Amino acid sequence: MADPTLQDYKNDVPNAWCPGCGNFGILQVLQKALVTLGLPPERVLLCSGIGQAPKIVHYLNANAFDGLHGRELSSAQAAKLVADDLTVIVHSGDGGAYGEGGNHFLHAMRRNVDVTHVVHDNHIYGLTKGQASPTTDQGQKVAVHPDGVAALPMNPLALAISQSCPFVAQSLSSQGDHLLDILCQAIRHPGFSYVNVLQPCVSWDPIHTYAYYQKHCYRLDASHDPTDQGAALRVALAHDGRIPLGVLYHNDRPALRAITEPGCADLRDCPDRPARLARVFDRFR
Amino acid sequence: MDINLRITGAAGQGMQTAADLVGKALARAGLHVFIHQDIESRIRGGVNFSQLRCADHPVSAPRDRVDVLISLSEPSLRAYGPAVAEGGLVFSTVPVETAGCPRCAPFFLSELAKAAGNEKTVSTVAAAVAASVLGLPDPLLDTLVEERFGASEKLADVNRRALALARGAMNDAGLAGRFALPTAPATDRLFVSGANAVALGALAGGCTFMAAYPMSPATGIMTTLSELTHEAGCWVEQAEDEIAAINMVAGASYAGARSMTATSGGGFALMTEGVSLLGMIECPAVIVIAQRPGPATGLPTRTAQGDLRLALHAGHGRFARVILAPRTIAEAFDLTARAFDLAERWQIPVFVLTDQLLQDGQTLIDRPEVGPVVRHVLTAAEAAALPAYERYAYTDDGVSPMALPGTSRHLVCVDSDEHDPRGHLIEDAPTSRAMCEKRLRKVATVEAAAPAPECTPHDPALPLVVSWGSTSPVVAEALTALGTGGPRFNHLQLTQLWPLPDLRAVPAFRDCARLILVEHCAGDGLDGLLAQTQLRAPDRCILKLDGRPFTVEELTARLAEEDSHG
Repeated sequence: MADPTLQDYKNDVPNAWCPGCGNFGILQVLQKALVTLGLPPERVLLCSGIGQAPKIVHYLNANAFDGLHGRELSSAQAAKLVADDLTVIVHSGDGGAYGEGGNHFLHAMRRNVDVTHVVHDNHIYGLTKGQASPTTDQGQKVAVHPDGVAALPMNPLALAISQSCPFVAQSLSSQGDHLLDILCQAIRHPGFSYVNVLQPCVSWDPIHTYAYYQKHCYRLDASHDPTDQGAALRVALAHDGRIPLGVLYHNDRPALRAITEPGCADLRDCPDRPARLARVFDRFR
Repeated sequence: MDINLRITGAAGQGMQTAADLVGKALARAGLHVFIHQDIESRIRGGVNFSQLRCADHPVSAPRDRVDVLISLSEPSLRAYGPAVAEGGLVFSTVPVETAGCPRCAPFFLSELAKAAGNEKTVSTVAAAVAASVLGLPDPLLDTLVEERFGASEKLADVNRRALALARGAMNDAGLAGRFALPTAPATDRLFVSGANAVALGALAGGCTFMAAYPMSPATGIMTTLSELTHEAGCWVEQAEDEIAAINMVAGASYAGARSMTATSGGGFALMTEGVSLLGMIECPAVIVIAQRPGPATGLPTRTAQGDLRLALHAGHGRFARVILAPRTIAEAFDLTARAFDLAERWQIPVFVLTDQLLQDGQTLIDRPEVGPVVRHVLTAAEAAALPAYERYAYTDDGVSPMALPGTSRHLVCVDSDEHDPRGHLIEDAPTSRAMCEKRLRKVATVEAAAPAPECTPHDPALPLVVSWGSTSPVVAEALTALGTGGPRFNHLQLTQLWPLPDLRAVPAFRDCARLILVEHCAGDGLDGLLAQTQLRAPDRCILKLDGRPFTVEELTARLAEEDSHG
């Protein structure tokens, strides 16, 4: 079979994002990453929930499971456990990943199913019109918080590193070359991989603009050792006004499917049920 | 002939172990047993019991009358000693005079266990006493004790001694065989709990994926499946919460595994959005709700039939679903297996409503005949042969062919938003209406297939008793107990609660002057559903509010009372 091309990943579903949205950059890079990795569309499963970011799964040609808000990780992990031959990539917004789905995020890191979780983090709730997300800055004035957000923003990178998440990275929607490299590494990682992709919200957030990120982001260089959990945590907790981009942390914990024997190789087609059950029944005599 | 034997004590004393041993011994003696558990929500202490109805015929209903009480603690003796039937027997661990027990055996179970060398063998002593009083041949229990404790020679040894001492005491007291049951040739029956039966039925129905969060009284299903995964081929995932569980089930089903979850009412309440997702993306799933009394935490380890409406109305928007309710443990196997077939055939959620009585109950079932699993999804070859594929292609019966992602070149897209036939989100009115109409056609397809209910004895002149689930066998036995001399009723037993068949086609329902519903809940269950769907509300509802199962005696009395009202 011929190698997949960008054309294979294009479809005709009308796009509903705001002009200038950071999601466009992520969509383009995702398509490039899948082509770069030589994956044909039918071997790829994109899972998402609800919000602006999750619509991404409709805007390219691949298998798609667009489920419930914040629950995309749950469905994705199960799909991967069943269909181990699929490459499973999950797209969430910061609301779905860290708010509605926070508990699932924690347990996905523990469980370590080989899926890639891409969080489109624009620090705001876009589709519900500009309320605070779990990563909105303290004091920022947004819908429902006219006096400024009182709560502290979550630090999802530090959280993930502290939980020994197998792969933790951050990138920026407007730095395509960097995002492409990070996404390819994340998808290749044989276990749960997590990428926080910063992106501006052009409709609801006048502060965190393309220019803002361009000014504050820096790329981790070779002096950072991503296998050093303590060093990774120090980068994530620096609070120096600078935003790190790159692979902060990774480890080689084996993925769940690699260490668990489910009794049949393919859960979609488990043969010999009657014979297997005959043996099982004997246990109840 | 049946003997009711109650083994009671504090949680953690081994009543369940004793009941297991006696249950299996009865199986191997060719007899029958129905065990039900009366347990408190605690791991140690309190007063629990396992009650064994031992009989020479199949039984699946609890009885009040206790013939033999085996008490392992003083509080349990005080609680249940006085209720033992005239001519019954009490075996205890404390002196007679302390507890004021007129029918106590002249020896103490705890002393026999101590003499055997380990106080923990009191459960083996209890089993030996039970087997002896029922007249079961010694080798049956000998073998079972070897199977259970044989791995450790030391443990096997003290348990052998416990058996011998208990048998000696029974012989000395002249109590061996006091309530002997006629043994029959051994059969190939299986000794299973309701939870076991659901798990085995799921495997027979082709289940290869379960995700669940532990909750009484549903947990036994995932425990059983988890112990059988390697032999049977099934993935059991303990989810972080019920929301994750139902969304995992959706993902696993989409990917091609027959999938299930199991929970109780409170846990299921968390799953309702997920049920709606199943409806929207037309995803097969089997959801077991093991009912217990609510609201909220209610009585965690007790029984009820209060979640019918919850299962029926869970999830926003209209879509097809089926609700099944097994009456017996044997039927729990059959209906769970059937649930998987229906779920995949129609790509819908199928509910199996059980309850604590059924889940924790134990009985003997005939070894089930299991055939190959017949799938209703496109094979890789079938999918590959299609020139194009749409997951939500419009069809007459509302069921679109289901392909599995990654098995062919065709893409499989599903969306919780309203979508087009390809599975991509849409907003336009014509597609919205067409897709909704497709789902409504499926509702009609599922309704048209509703099976006719079982109704006995078809004499339209009599008042009709309607029941469902584990309450049905109790009603049936109560009606038998009322006998030919007493009041008579027709009995309609429902095993599919949604969609309900047209009961007005059943003469006993259509023509009855008096309709009585027996349902283990506080009301607003099947009564309203009959009024809504059959335009006939029950004249009387016999309900139950205390979390304890209906018993044969109780329903016999309450139904006799109904007749006098009539």
